[in-house]
Amino acid sequence: MLKGKDIKDSSLGSSISQEKQTLPIMQRPIPPEIPWVTTTNFHSLPTPAPSPQLFPPVNTEGFPPSAQEEFSRTVRMGFQNMNNLQRQRLLAELLNSCNTEQLVFVSNYISPRLKRDFLKDLPIELSLHILSFINDPKTLSRASSVSKFWRSLLNDEFTWKNLCVRHHFRRRSSTAPELPPSPTSESPSSRNNKFSYKDHFRRRYIVESNWKHGGRTLVTHISPDIGVVTSLQMCQSYIVVGMDNKKIHIFDVSDGKYIKTLSGHEGGVWALQYIDEVLVSGGCDREVRVWDIDTAKCKHVLHGHTSTVRSLKMKDKKIAVSGSRDATLRVWNIEEGLLLHLLAGHQASVRCMEICGDIVVSGSYDCSARVWDIATGECLHVLQGHYSQIYSIAFDGEKIVTGSLDSTARVWSRQTGFCLGVLQGHTSLVGQLQLHESILVTGGSDGAIRIWDLDTYRCVQHISAHDNSVTCLQFDEKRIVSGGNDGHVKLWDIETGDFIREMTSAGNAIWRLAFQETKAVVLLQREGKTVMEVLDFDAQKS
Amino acid sequence: MSSNEQKKVKLTSSEGTEFQVERSVAERSVLLKNMLEDVGENDMAIPLPNVTGPILTKVIDYCTHHRNDPIQNHDDDPKKSSEDIDDWDAEFCKVDQGTLFELILAANYLDIKPLLDLTCKTVANMIKNKSPEEIRATFNIANDFTPEEEEQVRKENEWCEER
Repeated sequence: MLKGKDIKDSSLGSSISQEKQTLPIMQRPIPPEIPWVTTTNFHSLPTPAPSPQLFPPVNTEGFPPSAQEEFSRTVRMGFQNMNNLQRQRLLAELLNSCNTEQLVFVSNYISPRLKRDFLKDLPIELSLHILSFINDPKTLSRASSVSKFWRSLLNDEFTWKNLCVRHHFRRRSSTAPELPPSPTSESPSSRNNKFSYKDHFRRRYIVESNWKHGGRTLVTHISPDIGVVTSLQMCQSYIVVGMDNKKIHIFDVSDGKYIKTLSGHEGGVWALQYIDEVLVSGGCDREVRVWDIDTAKCKHVLHGHTSTVRSLKMKDKKIAVSGSRDATLRVWNIEEGLLLHLLAGHQASVRCMEICGDIVVSGSYDCSARVWDIATGECLHVLQGHYSQIYSIAFDGEKIVTGSLDSTARVWSRQTGFCLGVLQGHTSLVGQLQLHESILVTGGSDGAIRIWDLDTYRCVQHISAHDNSVTCLQFDEKRIVSGGNDGHVKLWDIETGDFIREMTSAGNAIWRLAFQETKAVVLLQREGKTVMEVLDFDAQKS
Repeated sequence: MSSNEQKKVKLTSSEGTEFQVERSVAERSVLLKNMLEDVGENDMAIPLPNVTGPILTKVIDYCTHHRNDPIQNHDDDPKKSSEDIDDWDAEFCKVDQGTLFELILAANYLDIKPLLDLTCKTVANMIKNKSPEEIRATFNIANDFTPEEEEQVRKENEWCEER
């Protein structure tokens, strides 16, 4: 409730602003000059009875023009010599004698004068502060259509930078590479211009909305030969697909077009990774092969494993580690093609591994995980606790997460080897894991996706995602994309766990998927054939 | 509250009107807080030549109501939104635009961050979800675009409509 004092004060305030408004141009804030402060104790002149004809002044009926002018001048001067209270009293008397029509006139006359072009009249930092409370781009872009001044203000980088932060449109993302040059860049010169947050926001906003309800299928490849897709990597410039039919296919990320096939493996390819032009692959033929993607030549064939190579990771372009059904891991110098270390200790097949820095962690069917030093080949910790085989592993340098057939995931300290938490909730094998900062997303053979907060070890979202096993998943700061044995690829909001849309028309089963900021690739079986779809969410030329 | 024991602080508005407020109320203003710390115990009135009496009255009302609020930390919350205004604050901001304008300037000058945020949020809410015409009407702004410019601006902004 307003107190009486407030009402009086605010009406006083408005009379001040009226006073200010009558000044010819109000530019920047000037401490209001109050002319009546000094003119105290002035006795008002005997006020002539207000004539109804006073408003509007154009109505000269009853007075000859000159007499009318003379009268107006007298009134004005008298008014100017009054103090504030006297003026208010006079105005009130005049308004009291007005009829409705005249009051409407007064109201219409006054109301625009009581308005302020805040953004123009305030100091620019305050105008930008106001805009910082608006996180809806539609409002901001509409506001830029108001006037020339508003348009120039709304081109200010501060506002759009703010909006980028608010919408998590980071300029650089740790999980994904920076956006490639936009195809909508009109000319080469515009690409050389300095970074603009407004353009960045616009681009990201379009991409974002395309993810939600737009986008297009860039290309669909239907493989002539039937094969199971075992591995997929999409980054930098290539999409690399490993098949159980011994082939490795390479596609261009930018347009999804087929480039080449690397042939040489004598059995199914089960694991691969590439960095720049160096690709390493392994599979049923027990060999690890090092390829140069540019020339499609196999540089080294590394022998040693006595069973299928089931997992493989590169530390960099010089060192790779392979894990095999023969229960060992091998550290290779892939530049020279030399075995550096044989990591023995697991009692059964090495199913999964992850590298961060100089450390490789491996998960095995012997129910344990191990932490190894790549440089020395030493086993630093044996992580024991799972009751069944380990199928998946994630590692960020500090925390190790393992997913097991015992339907739990466990979090371990890389430093101490202690188990930090047991994540229970899945009712079947935890086959899919991704870890980023304190967020862990797991996918299970129970068809569920669970989002965990590793600060509290709590499950923050439980999504019944698929009717069958979750076969693949990936998340970034905005979304999760999951594929299932039910043939569906689904997009989820990572914040709320809400279902957003299906990404492709359904198939029989989803083998693998991967996405970047503006692209996604899905490998699936549809109508008995192996299909690759590349989806594009970038801004299109209109 | 032992309000009568608390030291009063004298403030002078631009017209020369003197206001007496409790120190804890005055200290909602970082400017006044720093001044008071600098001058120590002193009976001198602090002149505020940039603030008129009516506006100072409003500011004192605000500071009195919020005298016991925890001090807001200054790092900008990325999730800040213009929707979280409580009833008293919303009622406080139901003033004409001229007063609101002066309040923003006063909050900025006196360095009262929560009041500055409140008044700026209020203006932001007056802009939200309005068409350009509605915004112009709200703030009495003339459309100074030529038809060609208007068309260009419309094209520039097409991207966020219909999404």
